[in-house]
Amino acid sequence: MTLGLAKYQHLAVSFLGRGALRYERLRQEAKLKRKGSWKSERFAPPLSTSPRLKELISLHYLKGRTADERGPVAWVTSGAPVEFLVALGYYVLYPENHGAVCGIRRVSEKISVHAEDAGYSRDLCSYARTDIGAALSGETPVGRLPRPDLLVACTNICQTVLLWYQVLAAHFRVPLVIIDTPFLYGEATERDIDFVRKQIEEAVAVAERVAGRSLSESRLMQVTRRSKEATELWLKVMETGKAKPAPITAFDEFIHMAPIVEMRGEQFTVDYYRAMLQELEARVRQGSGAVLRERKRLIWDNLPIWPRVRWLSEKLADRGVSLVASTYTNAWGELADLVDPEHPLESAAKVYLHPILNRGTGHKLATMEKMVRDYQADGVILHSDRSCKPYSIGQMDQRERLGTAAGVPALLLEADHNDPRSFSEEQAASRLAAFFEVLEA
Amino acid sequence: MAPPNPPLVPRRDEVIRRHRSSGGRLAAVLPIHYSRAVFRAHRMLPVEVWGPPGIDTSPGDAHLQSYTCGIVRSSLAFVLSGGLDVADIIVVPHGCDSLQGLGSVLLDFAKPRQPVATLYVPRGPRSASVVFLAEELRALSRRLSEISGIEPTLDELRQAIAREESADRALADLLDARPHLPFADADFYRVARAREYLPAEDFEPLARAMLAERVAAKRPGIPVVLSGLVPEPMNFLGAVADAGGVIVGDDLACLGRRRYAPGRSDDPWKHLAESLLDAPPDSTRGSSTADRLAWIEKLATDSGAKAVVFYLVKFCEPELFYLPQLRQGLEERGLKSVVIETDIAESLSHQAVTRLEALLESVS
Amino acid sequence: MSDAASIRALGIDAGSTTMKMVGVDAEGALVWHALEEMDPRIEAQAERLLDVVRADGCPDSLPLIATGYGRRLITRADRKVTEITCHARGVHRELGHGGTLIDIGGQDSKVIVVSEEGKVVNFSMNDKCAAGTGRFLEVVSGRLRMPMDAFADTALAADGEVGISSTCTVFAESEMISLLAHGAPVERIVRGLHRSLVQRVSALARGAGLRPPVMLSGGVARSRAIRTLLAETLRQEIVLPRHPQLMGAYGAALLALGA
Repeated sequence: MTLGLAKYQHLAVSFLGRGALRYERLRQEAKLKRKGSWKSERFAPPLSTSPRLKELISLHYLKGRTADERGPVAWVTSGAPVEFLVALGYYVLYPENHGAVCGIRRVSEKISVHAEDAGYSRDLCSYARTDIGAALSGETPVGRLPRPDLLVACTNICQTVLLWYQVLAAHFRVPLVIIDTPFLYGEATERDIDFVRKQIEEAVAVAERVAGRSLSESRLMQVTRRSKEATELWLKVMETGKAKPAPITAFDEFIHMAPIVEMRGEQFTVDYYRAMLQELEARVRQGSGAVLRERKRLIWDNLPIWPRVRWLSEKLADRGVSLVASTYTNAWGELADLVDPEHPLESAAKVYLHPILNRGTGHKLATMEKMVRDYQADGVILHSDRSCKPYSIGQMDQRERLGTAAGVPALLLEADHNDPRSFSEEQAASRLAAFFEVLEA
Repeated sequence: MAPPNPPLVPRRDEVIRRHRSSGGRLAAVLPIHYSRAVFRAHRMLPVEVWGPPGIDTSPGDAHLQSYTCGIVRSSLAFVLSGGLDVADIIVVPHGCDSLQGLGSVLLDFAKPRQPVATLYVPRGPRSASVVFLAEELRALSRRLSEISGIEPTLDELRQAIAREESADRALADLLDARPHLPFADADFYRVARAREYLPAEDFEPLARAMLAERVAAKRPGIPVVLSGLVPEPMNFLGAVADAGGVIVGDDLACLGRRRYAPGRSDDPWKHLAESLLDAPPDSTRGSSTADRLAWIEKLATDSGAKAVVFYLVKFCEPELFYLPQLRQGLEERGLKSVVIETDIAESLSHQAVTRLEALLESVS
Repeated sequence: MSDAASIRALGIDAGSTTMKMVGVDAEGALVWHALEEMDPRIEAQAERLLDVVRADGCPDSLPLIATGYGRRLITRADRKVTEITCHARGVHRELGHGGTLIDIGGQDSKVIVVSEEGKVVNFSMNDKCAAGTGRFLEVVSGRLRMPMDAFADTALAADGEVGISSTCTVFAESEMISLLAHGAPVERIVRGLHRSLVQRVSALARGAGLRPPVMLSGGVARSRAIRTLLAETLRQEIVLPRHPQLMGAYGAALLALGA
């Protein structure tokens, strides 16, 4: 594509696309304001910020369609340090997030089949299969994914990304930066932090070279400040779930977490969560819960079952069960304190070593136990996620400890985060029914 | 002419008993990368645990989901049923998400009788890795001191390193000479894999004895490279022979991917770290597809192999990710390949044998 | 059969559900065959079939190759060759061209890409799971108490299709029961179940690097429903040899002849 055409497309996307999305948001907001427009026996009306969320996400992918014609593009893992990329002007795409979008729209299976046809085993992570399938076929529900100039994989969520991104690197023939965060069986040591800091510095150098520009320290500090602010707000948003009834469920958070994951460091993300927090606080004051007639409160562990989020949320709400928190969404808030905008790179080393997925199985149990106390939960659902080993190994012991030592009923639910073929609705429904009986006994 | 008798390999339990009775300590070490010299400097014998295959995995069923790799499940079952009671410490190097989970579950929940230590082997080639891994090895050594009561001097460590490097050279020679060694694959692997539990000074004479039988002619049969993790169950090697195949190149995690060359630094810790990090391309360290392809192709070219057998343990994500690009690359270079997945706790399936035979029929 | 006298080589395919024996003449034409349900005493059954062919007038001590699941047990065979090589050889000779051969057997399913010269270019097999094999249809048709022929007809007669999302046999079975409990019409479910098997096999075929035409062999090839849906899913015409079940034994006999 010539530069002129690219610019023209960009203008079209910016003005026409933006305009259409803005119009759609205003229409939805107006609809939400009309009294009596919401008819549900299970749930409170959506937050008035919901249409804005939709606009943000759509806009993000809309920009993505032509991003590779305009500037540098990086594909990154969900736990990777992103602030320096944002500060360098990269358009940042999160294949995991795109995978979730495919899951929610129920096209993940169809897209994964392209990868499976090419020989990628069904035992591989279903996000990876969705992403590789999309890369191989060009198929996506968001129009088009921009081609990466740089790949950044951080091992703080799994080793899977290390291998997955090698596949992408060979496919796209672009540089891959691996940020290796030693797994913390216990506490982080100086050598861990030092090792990660050096790697982030090296990553910055590669990203500068690929982008053809150098990192401005003040810009990095600004982005980090916004990132920290948004993370703190996100944490507060989730903490409103401590109120009884909870004004927000983890199911809502699964959707509302998109900006904190993929638009960290942007001012509009900060503004978005500030508005959301205000609304939730108002709901707490009014005593209105996200699930009407909240009777029981549960904690969720592991990734969502994206293709079945809605089914599961309705199944729970039917019984007056509210999912008040999750270890998964919590992961993007709990480290806010560690971020130091005055020392962005140094603090990043610490922050990116400490996600729950980079810490031991005992730490995850302790986190769940604390959440049960803080959120006054009645039980825990541990999603045993067939294609996510690092999140799932340890759950059998965690469930056992929750049940016996802490007296908290806990259910191990077999499924998969993005592959509907590894999920049996009948089996899940009967397990949930039995679990509800335990909760109510 | 009948093939020469393979050297007699001492049994694992004998070696352990002998080492024990001489007052030595024992470490049970899980896959894949670690430095044997660090243990030996503590007068400790590292004995590797790859499963073991063919055991009842049910004791671990309360801790690990059924979709976890069989090596990890078998190892945990073995620990819980007392199989490693003879060891003074269990060491779990970080090789993948499943080994990571095993280390963590052992430390936090399953809590065996003996202490558990871990070792993080960094991913991605970079200079910072050497410094980090050298520190990790030093930390492991401190942990071993708590058990051995020994704080090895640098000289003692250097001596241990020298012994291991000499054994590593013997192993590398064995791998290089493979097409010319007139031994059945099962016998070859029995000797080569004795490196997993024999002291270096006992392993080396065995390897040299086998090398002394080298002949000019190549072994008859359809030559193949074996890639994957571990040749278990062992009757797989018999199946290769029955189908007319001979293994001439090895890219197994338990063997060929641990063809360690000596490090470069004078500092023994950095020297050890370099040696581990410079090992051949490997899925568990996240090597690039191009590097792995070049390595396997070189193995095939050097040995005259006609095909590659990827022999995998079910649910091994690190191996599975590479397969499509590797196989395509090999195909473009005129090398056919086949993928065989097994569960090390089970016997070799009929289908696995059929796959193998069909590959060999198609290149013969 | 009277042509037994012209037999110059024999092939036995000891499959998981049936045993097949084929005799070929000097030109490699299929002149004699037998097909029986599998007897657990494989060797004895092979001997009995050899007696039958000899009684028909077949000469003694002809070259014999065994293939199939039980090939190792047939000690009389001069050589044992896999189903992969045999099916490729048999179907190539029968149809006179290469392509992609899909063999859906009782125990496993295979996809074999055959070159124009009749050589195996690539092959893939289903994993341990029963979901991609004839066993899947057996389980679900048994559950619905429908004989296999009626099962296929029911699928083709359906005026719609209910999607079965689970590909695991156990999951699919429970999904089917739940669909029935929710009042979904049986024909549509049956069609959905066929589709599920076909999709699994199609994935295997695409994974092996499908090249047209698609040829079908094995017992399940007799199911009209599978053929129709496979053609639909792969968007390819399906070519069927005259005796889809005999292709393994035929290939073995051809190899024995050295043709």
